[in-house]
This record gives sequence, C-alpha cells and structure tokens, in this order.
Amino acid sequence: MAAQSGMVNPAIFQDLQARVDEDTAVRDELRDIIQALEKHNRNVSFVLSRAHSTPVSDLPETLKSAQEPMNNVIDTVSRLSQAASKMPYYKFNNMWSRQMQGACESALFWGWLGGYNKVDDEVQCGRLLTIEELGEMFKIPVNLKDRDEFHLSLEEYLQSLITLVEELTRLARNAVTLGDFERPLLINRFVKDLHAGFQILNLKNDSLRRRSDGLKYRVKDVEDVVYDLSLRNLVPKQGEQKE
Amino acid sequence: MGVKRSRDGPMAEEKPEQSSSPFVAMFEGFRTELDEHHDRRERIIKASRDITASSKKIIFTLQRVRAVGQAVPAFVNKKNAEYWETIEKQYKSIAADLQGLNAYRYSHNITGGNQEFMEALSFQHYLETQSLISLEEVQSRISTMSGDVGTVTFTPEDYILGVCDMTGELMRFSVTSMATNGKLPSGKHIESNKRLKQDSNQDETGDQMDIDDQVPAAAAYTQKPRTVLDDLRAIRLQLEMFEAPGGSRFATELETKKMPVMRECVDKVEKGLYGLTVRGNERPKGWMPDMGSGRGAEVESY
Repeated sequence: MAAQSGMVNPAIFQDLQARVDEDTAVRDELRDIIQALEKHNRNVSFVLSRAHSTPVSDLPETLKSAQEPMNNVIDTVSRLSQAASKMPYYKFNNMWSRQMQGACESALFWGWLGGYNKVDDEVQCGRLLTIEELGEMFKIPVNLKDRDEFHLSLEEYLQSLITLVEELTRLARNAVTLGDFERPLLINRFVKDLHAGFQILNLKNDSLRRRSDGLKYRVKDVEDVVYDLSLRNLVPKQGEQKE
Repeated sequence: MGVKRSRDGPMAEEKPEQSSSPFVAMFEGFRTELDEHHDRRERIIKASRDITASSKKIIFTLQRVRAVGQAVPAFVNKKNAEYWETIEKQYKSIAADLQGLNAYRYSHNITGGNQEFMEALSFQHYLETQSLISLEEVQSRISTMSGDVGTVTFTPEDYILGVCDMTGELMRFSVTSMATNGKLPSGKHIESNKRLKQDSNQDETGDQMDIDDQVPAAAAYTQKPRTVLDDLRAIRLQLEMFEAPGGSRFATELETKKMPVMRECVDKVEKGLYGLTVRGNERPKGWMPDMGSGRGAEVESY
C-alpha cells in the first residue's frame, strides 16, 4: 500500500476496520444470548398470563409453574451480564435493553402476584419489587454510577413499572370476571401509588415520558372497575384489602 | 398535605394519595438521579453545539486558503485562534461528564460536535500536510484539550463520519480554486515526485490504484504532484472499502447519508475538471502546461 507520504496512510483504515470488526464480533456473541433471553421471557409471560384466569386460591400453582422459566431467565441474564461486562455498558446496551425490560416485567408481575419470597402456599398479592430486589434476583448490580459494568438501569426499571401497571389494569377487570372483588381494590390502590410516584419525576420528552403519560388512563380504567363494583355494592368491607 | 386532608373531609380518601404513596421516597431518589442525568445530557448537547459552531467558523476561514502542503497563512491562524479556544473550553467543560460509564452513555449527544471538530481539524491538517490525519492524532488532540479529568471519547465512528464531511470541504476548496485560478490545487513537485514513486513501488492493492491504472508505465506521470482530486479519490476508495457493521445505526447513517454525499463531492470535482479540460484552450494560459497533457489522458480513460 501507499507509503505514509501518500494522502491516506492505509494503516489508518486497516486499524479502523479492525476496531469496528471487533465490535461486530461482540455484537454477534451478545445477539445469541439476547435471543435466548427473549425466548425465556416469552415462556414466563406465557405461564404468568394464566393469572388472568386463575382465582387467587389457585395462584400458587401458577407461580410454581413459573419457577422453572423464571430460573431460565435468571440464568440467561447472568450469561448476558458476563458477556457484556467486558465492554462499555452503554456502547451496546440498546441491544438488550428491551429484553432486560421484558425480564423485569415478568419478575415484577411475578413478584406482585406473590412469587417473591413465598414461604407457604398462601400467596399475598400487591408487592412491588424494588430495583435492588430485582438486582438480587438476577444477581446483577443495579443503577451503577461509579463503574462501567453490566447492570439494570433505572430507565429499564421504570419502563417495566409502566408495563406492570398495564398488566394490572387488565388483571383488575379479569379478577372481577372471576368473581374476585377484592383485588381490583388492591390494584386501584397500587396503581395510584405508582402513578403518584411517577408524577414526582421530572421527565424529559423521551419514551419514558410518553409512556408514563399513559399511566393516568390506566389509573382511570381501574377506577372505573372499582366504580362499577361500588355502584353495585360489591366492594368488600374495608380492612379486607391488603397493602 | 396532612392539614389539607382534614380540611377536605369527605374527599380525603381520594386526594391525599399523592402524598401518602408508599413509593414516594423511592421515587424521590429516582428523581434526583434523573435530574442529574438530564442536566448532564443538556450540558453535553450544548457543548456539542458550541463545538460545532466554532468548527464551522474555522472551516469557513480555512476555505480562504489557496495552497496545499504548506503552513496556512498567518491571517487564518489569527482569525481562528479564538474558535480553537472556544472548542478547547467546551471540551474541558464536559470532560468530567463523559468519564467511565458515561463515555458511551452520551456518545450520541457529543458525536455531532466530535464530527464537526474532526472536519475542521482534518481540513487544516490536509491543507498543511496534504495528508489525512489519523484517528490517534485526533484523539490525542482532544485528550490534550480535555484536561486532567480524562479525555472525551472520540470513536472510530466519529472519525469516519468526520472524514466523509471533510470531503465536502475538499470539494468546495477545489471548485473555488478551479473557478478563481483555473486549476486544481496540488502539492509541490519534487516532494510529490518522491511520494508517487514510493506509491507505485509499494502500492499493491492500493489507494492510488486509479492513478496507476491510467498510466501503467508511469515514468512521466510520477513527475506530477498529487492534486486534491487524487486525494479525494484516495479517500473515496478507502471509504468505499470500509465495511460498517451491518444493521448498526452508524452503518445506516454512513450508507444512506454520508457516503452518497461524499460520492457526489468527488463527482463535482471531476465534472469541474472535465469542464476545465474540454474548454481548456479557451482559458487563459498558466494552467495549460501543468494540467493539459496529464489530464487529457485522464479524460480519455473515462
């Protein structure tokens, strides 16, 4: 190739190509893991979607069948974590951000249904898993600031909270269909509390903002369910709803 | 809010939830973090814009230069000093925001400034040395400006996209020169004689292929200094051979926006030169002995 005294030292572009090719290799490695994660996420939500047609008394069964796919998700996340920690986090994080959100969404719903730290066959709905608890579950750091490693980001957590609200809105109606008039009240409370949380945030004009703008409609949807129940005197006596 | 609740009486069940949500403390923590993130992002975007604006001004001044391969005239350095200073100040101001984890977090907020800076720096570098600045040279320049906290990351992607933009400047530079002086700017004779000989000896797959192809036994031709068009073609060749990772945002940007513009720039200079060549006899003398014969061969090969 031309000597250095030419216009372009060919070494420049050879080096650039090598660097870019390295990134491509990393992408290829990550892509397989991310696809696996996507598949396992689907399996979990497949099982958990039964919650919409399962009375609370039978929920332990559903949670039990979710355990294995959940474990697969957790394993895949830790594989991803290992592979991705070799590289600057934000260089590639848009590759897996959606799937990590998916994993969180499943885990949050599972946790809300009572899957987290379940001791006996009695399930207790209404628990919000914190970002730290999710990190513990997936065995990954969360919301990192001081070092550049794979982690669960705050944005991913917040995005999955919004999905959780959407899922619970659906559950409120379906619970009524199942003759369960208690959970809509619980959901009403929970969804309002989360909505109040989101209102504290100063969101800029990004996807989080757009999605969180939709929360108020979900809150209203659930309120409508509660309204329908109270209109017909179907609301259980106060004190029965659990926090 | 507690006071308000008692006053509201019957409304108490609905209204106070905003303040009594058990998640408020958690979300307050989130708010602090998101605010920090947005502030940082805005600082970087602002710096990037300022770097872009100053770089454009530098380029504007550089376009008044008429010669290649020598130090730029004093007026250029004098006029541009303040812009270089602004750029340095801006890089220094955001260096701390772009360390560690955050280097890539905000890379798409700073890439605009980085690319424009690359364009200015590489254009001046070209005018002075008639060669393409290397990634390392750009990086070390930015590193120096960033100060002690650590350097602002300048990626290979920034570099490539900046090179594409720089071809636009070389085009303007060439077209202006052809219009005002009636010829393409080129390097010095003796020096480039040596250069081109090296090229034809060592060049196997080479960036200077087009030149070699046109004049196989290039004894006479190697006497010619490289013109800006030769250099533009060399850059074009390198960029065409460069393979961006498929499906990435960078590849899309490169293939749908930057490369077509870059090709058009080379085309424009070629068209301009074609015009000079066919209408050459109608031109005032001064450029004919230099360009005539060599360029004639080139036109035929097209």
